[in-house]
Amino acid sequence: MSFLIPCPHCGNRSVYEFRFGGEVKVRPQPDAPAAEWMEYSYTKANEAGVQKEWWFHRSGCRQWIQALRNTTTNEVLEAFFPE
Amino acid sequence: MADTSDRFSFQFDGETIEARSGDTVASALYRAGRRIFTRSFKYHRPRGLLCLAGKCPNCMMHVDGTPNVRACITPARAGMAVRHQNAYPSLDHDWLAAVQRFDRLMPVGWYYKAMTHKWSWHAAEPFIRKVAGLGVAPDPGKGSKDYEHAWMHTEAAVIGGGRAGLQAALDLAMGGAQVVLIDDQPELGGHLRYRRRAGAVPAGTIAQLRSLPSVEIISRAHCFGLYEGNLLGVLQANPHAGAIERLIHLRAKRVIVATGAYEVPFTFQNNDLPGVMLSTAVQRFIHLHGIKPGASAVIVANGAQADEVADDLRGAGVELVTVLAPDEVIAALGSSHVTGIQTHTSRFACDLIVMCGQRVPDAGLLHQAGGKLVWNQERGAFVPVDLPANVSAAGEVTGASLSRAMPLPPKHVPFHKRSFVCFCSDVSTADLRDGIREGFDHIETLKRYTTLTMGPCQGKMCQLAGIGACAHETGRTMAETGVTTARPPNPSVSLGALAGARHHPIRRTPMHDAHDQSGTVWMDMGEWKRPRYYKSASCISERSCVEEEYRAVRERVGLIDVSTLGKLDVKGRDAGRLLDKVYTNRFSDLKPGRVRYSVLCDEAGIVLDDGTISRLAEDHYFITTTTGNLDFVQQWLEWWLVGTGWDVHITNVTGGHAAVNLAGPRARDVLKTLTTCDLSSKAFPYMACRQAEVAGVPALLLRIGFVGETGWEIHFPAEYGEYLWTKVLEAGEVFDIRPFGVEAQRLLRLEKRHVIVGVDTDALSNPYEAGMAWVAKLDKPDFIGRNALSRQAEAVPQQSLVGFIMNDDAVPQDGAAILVDGALAGRVTSTRYSPKNGKAVGLAWVVAKAATEGAEIQIRVNGSMAGARIVPEAFYDPAGERLRM
Repeated sequence: MSFLIPCPHCGNRSVYEFRFGGEVKVRPQPDAPAAEWMEYSYTKANEAGVQKEWWFHRSGCRQWIQALRNTTTNEVLEAFFPE
Repeated sequence: MADTSDRFSFQFDGETIEARSGDTVASALYRAGRRIFTRSFKYHRPRGLLCLAGKCPNCMMHVDGTPNVRACITPARAGMAVRHQNAYPSLDHDWLAAVQRFDRLMPVGWYYKAMTHKWSWHAAEPFIRKVAGLGVAPDPGKGSKDYEHAWMHTEAAVIGGGRAGLQAALDLAMGGAQVVLIDDQPELGGHLRYRRRAGAVPAGTIAQLRSLPSVEIISRAHCFGLYEGNLLGVLQANPHAGAIERLIHLRAKRVIVATGAYEVPFTFQNNDLPGVMLSTAVQRFIHLHGIKPGASAVIVANGAQADEVADDLRGAGVELVTVLAPDEVIAALGSSHVTGIQTHTSRFACDLIVMCGQRVPDAGLLHQAGGKLVWNQERGAFVPVDLPANVSAAGEVTGASLSRAMPLPPKHVPFHKRSFVCFCSDVSTADLRDGIREGFDHIETLKRYTTLTMGPCQGKMCQLAGIGACAHETGRTMAETGVTTARPPNPSVSLGALAGARHHPIRRTPMHDAHDQSGTVWMDMGEWKRPRYYKSASCISERSCVEEEYRAVRERVGLIDVSTLGKLDVKGRDAGRLLDKVYTNRFSDLKPGRVRYSVLCDEAGIVLDDGTISRLAEDHYFITTTTGNLDFVQQWLEWWLVGTGWDVHITNVTGGHAAVNLAGPRARDVLKTLTTCDLSSKAFPYMACRQAEVAGVPALLLRIGFVGETGWEIHFPAEYGEYLWTKVLEAGEVFDIRPFGVEAQRLLRLEKRHVIVGVDTDALSNPYEAGMAWVAKLDKPDFIGRNALSRQAEAVPQQSLVGFIMNDDAVPQDGAAILVDGALAGRVTSTRYSPKNGKAVGLAWVVAKAATEGAEIQIRVNGSMAGARIVPEAFYDPAGERLRM
C-alpha cells in the first residue's frame, strides 16, 4: 500500500501521513429502529470499487477529509472537505 | 583497466589482502589467490565466483560486521574487516561439508517427511540452525545507526545505467523532465564497460547527463521494489562514510525500467565447482579489474557466442583448450576447484570453465508492478508485456535483442543430484524431478516444495533452468509451465536498512531533571518517561520504596508529576453541546468552577477513554485524557465536529502545561502556604476548580481525588515546571512530603477501585459491565453510543468488572486466570498488595454468575490456586469521606 491522497489543503501526500476513518456512513436518528443502528455500527459495505471514505491528515494539516477511492486499485479519484 | 597506482590493504579472516583502487572485495581476494568464496547453504559445497554482478549467492560474506554482503559488488576499502560465513573452521577446510555424505537422508522436502513428530523438530532444530544457513545476524544493540532512510520525488526515474537507461535518461532530460537515474554498479555504462564487441561506453552521454542540473545519478543502488503509485524502493550502498546503506523512498511520475539482461548457468554435474564461471564474469575480470581469470579455459557455448569471450580470454593470456556445446558436457571435474571437464566422448584438463549462458531479461520489477511475463520461443525468454500505466521498459529487459542460446524446454535434462539448478539452497535437477514425481508438478507448488527461486538471489540464477526442467519432465511447453510470481524485494534487502535509524522520540516532562536528581527509577509510558518510583536511602526494594510513598500520601502528603495527562482546551459557544454529544456524561449544565468525570464511548457503547472535564467559563472547558489517548480523543472530538458548523475550538495544550497532583491529609496545609486561594472545603469543595496563583505562578487547580485523599491537581505553564515542583516540595518539607511515582499511584487508586481505561477495560467493555452505569446519562436525547448503551442498560450482563480481596497472603499477577468451580471464569486486570488490607486486592473481569457480593473465586498464583472473595465497595474509604475533608 503506497498510494497518494490529494489532500485539499496540502496536495498529494503519501497515505502513511493519514489515518483511515472508514466508510462514510449516515448516522441514524436517535430514535431509529435497533436494526438500523446495528447496521450502522457493525456492517460495512466493503465496496469492491469506488467508495467514499474518511481520512485524517495526521502528519499534515490535521484535518478530517473525505476521499473517493477505488478499493480494487487504490486510485484516489478525489479528496475534499466534508460538507 | 583498473588503476594500479593506488594500493591498500584490508583484512580477510585475519589475513592481510592487498587491493588496488577500483577493486571489489571479490576481485582483490581472487587476485590474492582465493577461489572458494562461500560454502553452500545445505551441503557446504565449495562455491566460487559465478556472476560477478551481484546476481548470484556465491560470494556472500561478513563485511565489517554486516552478514550476507555480496563481495563482488562491494568496493574494497582500506582497513575493512571481511570474514567468511557458514563454514567451520575455514572456507577451504569446512568440517560441515561432511553433511553432504548424508544427502540420501535429506531428499527434496526432507523436513516435511522427517519432522512428523514435534520432538523430531525440537531434536533437529539446534543442529540445523548451526549447519544450514547464511551469515550470523549482528548484535541488535550495534550497527543500527548505520542505516538511514531518505525520501525523493521526481518526474521520471530510470532504473539501469546501461546503454538504454542512459539514452532514456538523456531523452527525458532533454524533453525538460527532472530525472533520477539508478544504477547498481560503481560506474555507468552497463555491459558496455566489459563487452568490447558491444560498443564503447557512451562517455559523451554520461558527461552530458552529469552536467544537467535536472538529472540526479545514484550509483551503487539497486531498486528492489516497484510499488503502487510508482513508489520505488531503492537501496544505496555506502551513501557516505557514516552509513552502510540508505533506503530511498523514490516517488516517480514515470518509471523506465532499463535493467537489461543477465546470464544464467547451464546445468551439468558439478556445475557449481569453483572455476565454473559465466562468460560475463570472466569479461568483468579481464576488462574491469585486469585479472587473468585462469590459466587454461574451456568455453561452453552455443555457436558464435563463444567467439567474443574467446577473443577476451586470448587477449588476457588465457590458453583456450576447446569450445564445447552445452549438451556435450557431462561434468566438471575436480573436488574443490575445476581441474577439467568430461564430455560424452572425452576429457579435457583446464582450470576454468566459461559458460556462455542464456540471457534472461531482468524483468522482476516489471512483473512486480503488474506487468505480465509471456514466453517468447524465438528469444528464449519470458518477456514483459501489458505494463501498467506510467511504467515502461527499454533495452534488453524488453527481450527484443535476445536470442535463444539453447533449446527450451531442453531436449535433455541431466537429472543428477550434483547438477545444480538453485545455488542458493542446493536444489539439483534430481531434486526437481523427485518433487515433480511426488506430485508437485505445478511451477508454483514445485517452488514451495523445493525452495527453488526462494533464496537470496530470488530466482535470478535458477528460474529459467527450473522452468525448463519442469517443462521437460511434465511434457509441457515453457509457456504452459509459466513463471513464478515475482514479489519484492528483488534482490534481497537487509533488515537493518528496512528498519532504518532508530530515532524513537522520547518525551520528558518539564520536571524531568528534578526527578532524575531524586533517584528516580524510570518507566516508559508511550513516548513519555515517567518516574516509576523514587529510590531513597531508607528503602531496600521496589516494594518498600513504593510502600513508603504510599504511606506518605495516606498519612501525610505526597506529590506526583502528572504532566503526561492529555490536556485539551475547548472553547466556543457550542463547546458544551459538543461535549454533551461525545461524552456519556452531561456537561452543558455543569456550572463554571465545577469538574465532572466522564467516559467516552463509541457507537457500540465500548469505553474508549475517560477523564475529567472542568468548566472554566460559560464557553470554556478544560479536558484531561489518559496519557496514551490524547491524539485519539482530539481526533474523535474534531471528527464529530465536522459538518456541524458549531462554534468550538479545540487546542491541545498537553506540552504547554505541566501538572502535579498534591494529595494527602496535609495537602491543604502545604498548598495554603503557596496560594491565597481559599482552600477550605466550603469555598473549594470536592470536584470544584479554581484559577489562582500558586507560588506566583498562574495555575488551574482541580480538586479531584484519583488516589483517594484530599488533593489538588495543579495545571500551570510548563516553563515553571521545575520551579513549582521544587517550591511545593520545599513547602511540604515540614510535613515530611514525599514525591511519589506511578507504582504508588496505581496502588493508591486500586484501593479506591478507580478504573484505568485500557488496563482494566478493553475493546469489549461497556460502562454497565465496568460498574460505571452512573456515568451514562441516557436521559440526554442523543450522544455517541447512546443507542447501544440504552440496550446494554437493559441487557443481562455477560461479565462484570469486580473488586476482589485475597483470602490469604498470596499476591497474584496482573492477567492471572480466575476459576470458579474448576472452570475458567475470568481474569485479573490489576492487582497489588494493599498495605491497608494486609492482603492483595485487585480488579477482575468475571462471568456474571460469579460476580455476586462475597462470592468465592480461585485465582492462579505461581501455578497453584488461591482463594479470593468478591467485594462490592472500594477497599479504602468506601464512602469517599477522605476526599471531601
